[in-house]
Amino acid sequence: MIDVGSLSEFLLIIFGGIIAGIIGSLTGLGGGSVLVPVLTLFYGVPIEYATGASLISTIATSAGSASTYTKKGIANIKIGVGLEVATTLGAIVGALTFALVVHANLQWILFLLFGIVILTSIIPTVKRGKYEFPEEKPADFTSRLFQLSGKYHDDRSKRDVKYTGVRWWLGEIIMFFAGVLSGLLGIGSGALKVLGMDWAMNLPMKVTTTTSNFMIGITAATGSSIYWYEGYIQFFLAAATAIGVLIGSRIGSAILLKVSNKEIRWIFFAILTFLGIDMIFRGITKSHYYYINPLTGFSVAIGFAAILILLLFIKMKLEEKANGNF
Amino acid sequence: METSDKLTSLVSWILKIAVFLSIGLVTIGSIMMFIFNGADGYTISQIQSYNSKINLTSHAFSPVLIPSGLVALNPIAFISLGLWVLIFTPVTVLFSSLVDYIYTKNKLYVILTFIVLFNLFTAILIIPAFVKL
Repeated sequence: MIDVGSLSEFLLIIFGGIIAGIIGSLTGLGGGSVLVPVLTLFYGVPIEYATGASLISTIATSAGSASTYTKKGIANIKIGVGLEVATTLGAIVGALTFALVVHANLQWILFLLFGIVILTSIIPTVKRGKYEFPEEKPADFTSRLFQLSGKYHDDRSKRDVKYTGVRWWLGEIIMFFAGVLSGLLGIGSGALKVLGMDWAMNLPMKVTTTTSNFMIGITAATGSSIYWYEGYIQFFLAAATAIGVLIGSRIGSAILLKVSNKEIRWIFFAILTFLGIDMIFRGITKSHYYYINPLTGFSVAIGFAAILILLLFIKMKLEEKANGNF
Repeated sequence: METSDKLTSLVSWILKIAVFLSIGLVTIGSIMMFIFNGADGYTISQIQSYNSKINLTSHAFSPVLIPSGLVALNPIAFISLGLWVLIFTPVTVLFSSLVDYIYTKNKLYVILTFIVLFNLFTAILIIPAFVKL
């Protein structure tokens, strides 16, 4: 006799994973950033198991999407591998810190940190569309030493784009922290990778996105093995989320190719804002310093999210009008 | 340029196969888990519960048990193997790029790839053996 209760729970988790995968890929933040809040806030999963499952799904989505990107030759494997020196080291530090935090029963810190990371990730991700091709900067000594030049064919503008990365050292420093967050919170920390490659190393957005996608798998693999031995990879949860998130991210990237209307993304950024604020509230409640009624927290988070996203949206529209482009 | 083109198509191929293999194994394991109504001597509701013995630190399913588990049709072994395939996918990517850097005599990147592999193996093999928190 099949246990119907367990089966429906399994299918429900797969469903949650699909939703997380879709939102994660549409916003560019990756499945983990949505999966952990969904599992902890709505499914009542302890955060240590949610983080472990999220790391596993992060590897799955990274491998799934990177196989398409690397085939087109946009991802720069050489730059990726070079930066992995820092992210893998960071992931080890992050995963060990995670184990210490959980052993000390300080899970509320993870909730709080998670909320803050999601909220601060939204702004650079919203803004990133603006600087698709960065202004060229003169090559520095790291450009030559670490062979940071490359080119790819841009389908939309139908031309070959040549680029040269700079400030490898700064990229490495930022990537170390991206690795720490990945190991600590079970996410791909895409926003920090954007900061490291777009801003610090001056690489074109397409190269950054695709390279970071391929890198996330290596970073998450490093962290997840430590989770495994610590017992935070729960089979039931990890199996269901890996299947769900992978399906979701496939659907997400298919939608992304079809939808030219970028306005739809704002709805998802609003959802992320809501999740971030609710995670912070949950963290505060769990810390026992202050009690926030879940329902009050829920309503306040929704209100906050709506206002914040509305303001960001208006600000961007005004800027677009001032620049005269639509 | 030619070798790196070959490298990217190889990497893309490895990733695709690995994802299919791993998700396939996880799905097969999950279906078996439901048909057998449990695995490894635990009922499915025990596997599902976060407080049961199977999910405690000291009982983490050791990868060493996977081969015998597969033969015994233990669903947990199938799911574990699927998850380990996933964890090892990036390692194979690193190895194939290492081969490429050795072939093109790119000394600096041979060293950098070695450092990344060292970090990964430290996390997979060395840290679990020595750090018991």
